[in-house]
Amino acid sequence: MTINVDRPCGTFDSNYYQAMEIFRTPLRKFLMIAFIVLLYAIAFILDDYIISILIVFCAFSIGMTGLQIITGYAGQISLGHAAFMGVGMYTMAVFQEHLGFNFWFALPLAGLVPMIIGMLFGVPAVRIKGLYLAFASLAAHFVIVYAINNWRSVTNGTDGMYLHRPGVLLGIDFMIDKYYYILVLTVTVIMIYFAKNLSRTRLGRAFVAVRDNDIAAEVMGINIAHTKVLAFGIGCFYAGIAGAVGGGYYEYVNVEWFTLTDSIWYLGFLVVGGLGSIFGAIAGAVVWKSLDELSTLVTPITEALLGGMAFYASAAFSLVIYSLIVIVVLVLEPRGINHRWQIIKRSYRLHPFPY
Amino acid sequence: MAVDTRDIVKKREQRYSYGLTLLRDCIEETRDLPNEEDFFKKNVLRVEDITISFGGLNALSDVNLELREGELLAIIGPNGAGKTTLLNVISGFYKAQKGDVYFQDTKITNYSSHKIAEMGICRTFQNIALYTGLSVIDNIIAGRHPHIKYNFLNGMLYFPWARREEARQRAIAEDIVDFLEMEQVRNTTVGMLSYGLRKRAELGRALALEPRILLLDEPMAGMNLDEKEDIARFIVDIHEFLRIPIVMIEHDMGVVMDIADRIAVLDFGLKIGDGTPEEISKNQKVVSAYLGKAGEQ
Amino acid sequence: MEDLLKSIMLGLASGGIYALVAVSYVIIYKSTRIFAFSQAGMLVIGAYTFWQCLVVWSLPIWISILITLAIAAAIAIIIERVSMRPLIGQPILAPIVVTLGVMLFLRGIALLFWHGEVEGYGEAFLPLGVWHVGFLSLPKIQVYGFIICMLVIALLISFYKYTRTGLGMRVVHEDHLVAQNLGINVKRIFQYSWIFSCAVAVIGGMLLGNIQGVGLDLDANGLIAIAAVLFGGLESFGGAVIAGLAIGIIQIFAIQYLGALLPGEITMLVPFVFLLLILLIKPYGLFGLVRIERL
Repeated sequence: MTINVDRPCGTFDSNYYQAMEIFRTPLRKFLMIAFIVLLYAIAFILDDYIISILIVFCAFSIGMTGLQIITGYAGQISLGHAAFMGVGMYTMAVFQEHLGFNFWFALPLAGLVPMIIGMLFGVPAVRIKGLYLAFASLAAHFVIVYAINNWRSVTNGTDGMYLHRPGVLLGIDFMIDKYYYILVLTVTVIMIYFAKNLSRTRLGRAFVAVRDNDIAAEVMGINIAHTKVLAFGIGCFYAGIAGAVGGGYYEYVNVEWFTLTDSIWYLGFLVVGGLGSIFGAIAGAVVWKSLDELSTLVTPITEALLGGMAFYASAAFSLVIYSLIVIVVLVLEPRGINHRWQIIKRSYRLHPFPY
Repeated sequence: MAVDTRDIVKKREQRYSYGLTLLRDCIEETRDLPNEEDFFKKNVLRVEDITISFGGLNALSDVNLELREGELLAIIGPNGAGKTTLLNVISGFYKAQKGDVYFQDTKITNYSSHKIAEMGICRTFQNIALYTGLSVIDNIIAGRHPHIKYNFLNGMLYFPWARREEARQRAIAEDIVDFLEMEQVRNTTVGMLSYGLRKRAELGRALALEPRILLLDEPMAGMNLDEKEDIARFIVDIHEFLRIPIVMIEHDMGVVMDIADRIAVLDFGLKIGDGTPEEISKNQKVVSAYLGKAGEQ
Repeated sequence: MEDLLKSIMLGLASGGIYALVAVSYVIIYKSTRIFAFSQAGMLVIGAYTFWQCLVVWSLPIWISILITLAIAAAIAIIIERVSMRPLIGQPILAPIVVTLGVMLFLRGIALLFWHGEVEGYGEAFLPLGVWHVGFLSLPKIQVYGFIICMLVIALLISFYKYTRTGLGMRVVHEDHLVAQNLGINVKRIFQYSWIFSCAVAVIGGMLLGNIQGVGLDLDANGLIAIAAVLFGGLESFGGAVIAGLAIGIIQIFAIQYLGALLPGEITMLVPFVFLLLILLIKPYGLFGLVRIERL
């Protein structure tokens, strides 16, 4: 008989609402709340350097969650995710600079504009899948980058644009990094909660159905064209929000911040984190950005070793090490960090017994 | 025969009052189940002169088929006779080059597959096509997709009405799980189930769509006797309790002769026989084409 | 008329190399059904290795070519053994991500060894200078490059047609399991495909290095060739060649006639917009195989 070890021992559902809960035991709910409170609390302890890293973690967690929706849940490959993040940044900047919107009104627009563009580029997905879709999203990347580079009157071309954080609201000055971190963290928590809800309701199941067996899904009453385009739309909405809050931290955006390489790392570290779970998306984003920090730390060391010609060392380091990590994880553990985490949780639950 | 069925239906209703009742209520809410007079009379599905070929190969040529209300129609024929192709045409997955399909006098030839499924033509597949990453219960709820009435924003924000709707759908799905006797494995990922259980889960997913017509593509292929008997029992129960017509492709002649009301025989894309089991077993054309020597004895 | 002919000649010259790179994708796709994005990286590695041998170490041209090909074969074997073989049977995302990872890995290696500086072969490889034919002026590099591309492709096609291994490759293309049952060593065939493909890619890299200069940006040509492969259909050599030449010509035409409308650098934009159009209109290309889906 199959014993289900995916849930804690000794908890039984007595109604259908319990079966749909995110947290099965009060303890886990408490731990999650405690963890989020801790994330808020450390803003007042840590220095600005750590906070800058945390902001980047948060922003890329949102972006990675978006890619998780497109790739992990709906099974559609996107090689243009970094570009959509860029569209979010630029939307924010354009609406603030040219139309005088403030941060709060520009933020939802920074999600909606990439969403619409993403849905447009998602249209080929209706007829094609897999590899062909990867090509289509590759094309999306180049078209977007070309547009940003050359639509100079709006995007200022390669010079980049300035965007602004929100000013003082309710006595909180978001120009101070730690308060801006709290804002970003709040957005992240909300977005991730929404993604979790999405994954356990109607559309989330439709996504997984399309991923696992799109032909059967169509014959079983799911409009796959609609579903695929929506997956791209929602995923790109997340990318746009991620770009907007991340760009808001630097208060500047440049087209060189989202290259094809970034899009590939997006996809690669999504797999490293684990496909098909929100935890995997966050883990992937955190690993990726931690490595980024590491590679900037490595630069002074290589400079000391190689003298003045170390300018390429950091770039080469990231290319070689990241790709090795992605390849090794895919070959040895295709289900990513998330799978390891599940194994740890499982062995904890079954503790005195090996399996 | 019709008189017998009425009694049986009542008996089954008492016996299976715990299973499928919610689903039956759902079906009755949206459409009328046929009353006793119409049983066996009305046409629900009509396939007219269907022709389809792949490359030079004629998969089906001028096939006509009728399905009457409350009927259990078996389609038999050797491998490659075009049985699955016929089901694919009905469910809109293949587009026929010639001919039309009518569902209750609505022409559905050019409808897209998901529209046809929403109208109530639901099916299972020869090679199991479940959503391998989902658990059994989620597969069945995913089958409820067209009948869940909230949009994705409500789902994302998880409003109370979306939550209530989810719970209602889960109740219906659990009902189907109970009926199919899969309670033990309801939370197991279907990829890890045995072949027989997967076939059963697929039947459950088709049921979840509130079928008006159920198309079963070799529901008992590759099963042992016990499993076959289970599936046969489910099919008969569904047929009688929900009073829906069923089209079934099956190779096991014993089962077909036992439970089918009518049999259609396909051979090389042509329909060579159509009638009650007794008629078919006497039809010389069918005997020589399909049953071969065994039939002549 | 003169302009038109000139553009066509220019387009053919760059199209020849796209065709060659496209063929290197097709070789791998035909036997393994994996699209090897990594070949874009092989272009860079090939160009730099050849430059290292020819210019830095001043080796004779034939030895340089042999060393470059040998290195390409070695890399091919490593890629196939280490990263591709464990992925047989995995969902489509895994090989896509791994080959993209290999592409960036090769780029990183090139950056590590050659520091990303743009180099040139000078006079050491193909002769410089220009031929004048009527009103046309043909740079010798491009003419030789085009001829070499076509020769390599012709050699490959005849290899597929007339040798035993080539026959095996065509059988593997039809069905892996059937081929295995017929006694063909499918894994060996995969390995051969990778070796051939990488060899073709480094030849493309050498020629590109001669025309555009040896640098990290050569892999953009590999990405452009993707549009060609798709246009021709992923499984067809003939299609890849025709489509490669077509992409070259379309690119030049677009630069000449649309350049006024579209500002900036459109060498990357044109092939990819074209690719999007193909995907919308005829996703399986001109000569691609449309597989009938079954239920």
